[in-house]
Amino acid sequence: MPDLPRKKVGLIACSGEEMAEGTVTRRAVRTVLETLRPGDTVTLCLPLFLAGSEGERAFARFYPTIAVDGCDKRCAARATAKYSARPAASIVVAETAKERGCGAIGTARRLNEAGLRLAGEVAARIVEETDRLLAKKPRGAGRGSDRGKP
Amino acid sequence: MAGDILEMTVDKFLFRFPSDLLYGPAGIWVRFEGARARIGLSDFTQQRNGDVAFAEPKGAGTRVGTGEEVALVETIKVNLSVPSPVAGRVVEVNADLLSSPELVNQDPYGRGWLAVLEIEDAEAVRRGLMSAAEYMALARVEAEAETRR
Amino acid sequence: MSAKPRKIPVAACSGIGKSLGAAAREAAYVLAEDLRPGHAKVVALSLLVMGDEEASREVAGREALAIDGCKLECAAKGLACAGAAKVRKVAVFDVIRRHRGLKPEGVCDLNEDGLKLARAAAEEAAGIIDDIDAGGGCA
Repeated sequence: MPDLPRKKVGLIACSGEEMAEGTVTRRAVRTVLETLRPGDTVTLCLPLFLAGSEGERAFARFYPTIAVDGCDKRCAARATAKYSARPAASIVVAETAKERGCGAIGTARRLNEAGLRLAGEVAARIVEETDRLLAKKPRGAGRGSDRGKP
Repeated sequence: MAGDILEMTVDKFLFRFPSDLLYGPAGIWVRFEGARARIGLSDFTQQRNGDVAFAEPKGAGTRVGTGEEVALVETIKVNLSVPSPVAGRVVEVNADLLSSPELVNQDPYGRGWLAVLEIEDAEAVRRGLMSAAEYMALARVEAEAETRR
Repeated sequence: MSAKPRKIPVAACSGIGKSLGAAAREAAYVLAEDLRPGHAKVVALSLLVMGDEEASREVAGREALAIDGCKLECAAKGLACAGAAKVRKVAVFDVIRRHRGLKPEGVCDLNEDGLKLARAAAEEAAGIIDDIDAGGGCA
């Protein structure tokens, strides 16, 4: 068992290149990592994970992970479960988009304003799950800082 | 590479520190080979600074003092002036780094060595360097400070 | 009337931890949308590696192009894993060595150097696409 310091949550995004939802996963995860929960989260690189990186897979074995997928093919969630351990939470952007009634969100290369807003919504969901997994007290609903800008 | 290898994990990153090497404060390792010292970037230093695009040690014959630049390493993130952990004269540089600078990242303690220096007072030089355990403790403080930033 | 040739599949590593991964991803889009529209198609790497049938059909038995951020070559490995007959490669890491001084930054939003790097990588990739097209490849 490796030396395990402070608990953090691993975020693994599908980054699916064919769909705008894949780009949303990427932006949402980076927003959480860089701005919303920088000390509490780590990104796991899905390509490295799939290629067999010991660092990524070992982390996912010992720490809770949140898989963020663009569509219901759930590559990130399935890969994490297959090669390490089942993710503690799984978010699918297409489902969030449907719940929010989002229209067109842009392209895989460039999100439009709706896509950027959706990334912010997904980031907020990631934060909720992160706080739950780290057993933090839930923050007040509608706090601007938790919504964050993508 | 003989001897134990100390390991340190910070988040998903694993850093290795062979215990048969000594280390300068900037994370440059030293392997003594008689009156010579082979140097390179530690695993922690190479991971921290990113993928190496160019690694250019000073040419053979160059004299450097402790702390003076012995190599310029350009990564995708930074241009790193590598301070020599020892005083001496460069007698050999790693020619493989011209075509394969990624060796510094892939095999920092083996094929990714930077240069060999001829040193004058090996004992004095050794006293100024850290053991693997000492350097790892320093690296941990730096790594954890970075993850908090 | 001859059948329209299939687009050449292109996989990018899209590494989320480094700007080189972002540059690889952007390079794939520049290639498929700007430089060689109609000749190259971006395929999702994770679908290939996870064995998605539809994605694998795009690649199996064909010549494909990998655009990787670093020497770990995740995209090249993914294409090989999905059964590509031949994998041609562009390593953004090697491209940056041919454009000394570029310091790409950002993952979601590449800086100017990152966009320049992506463009340079895409131009090299376009040459490979032309080569595959000219040779007939395993299209």
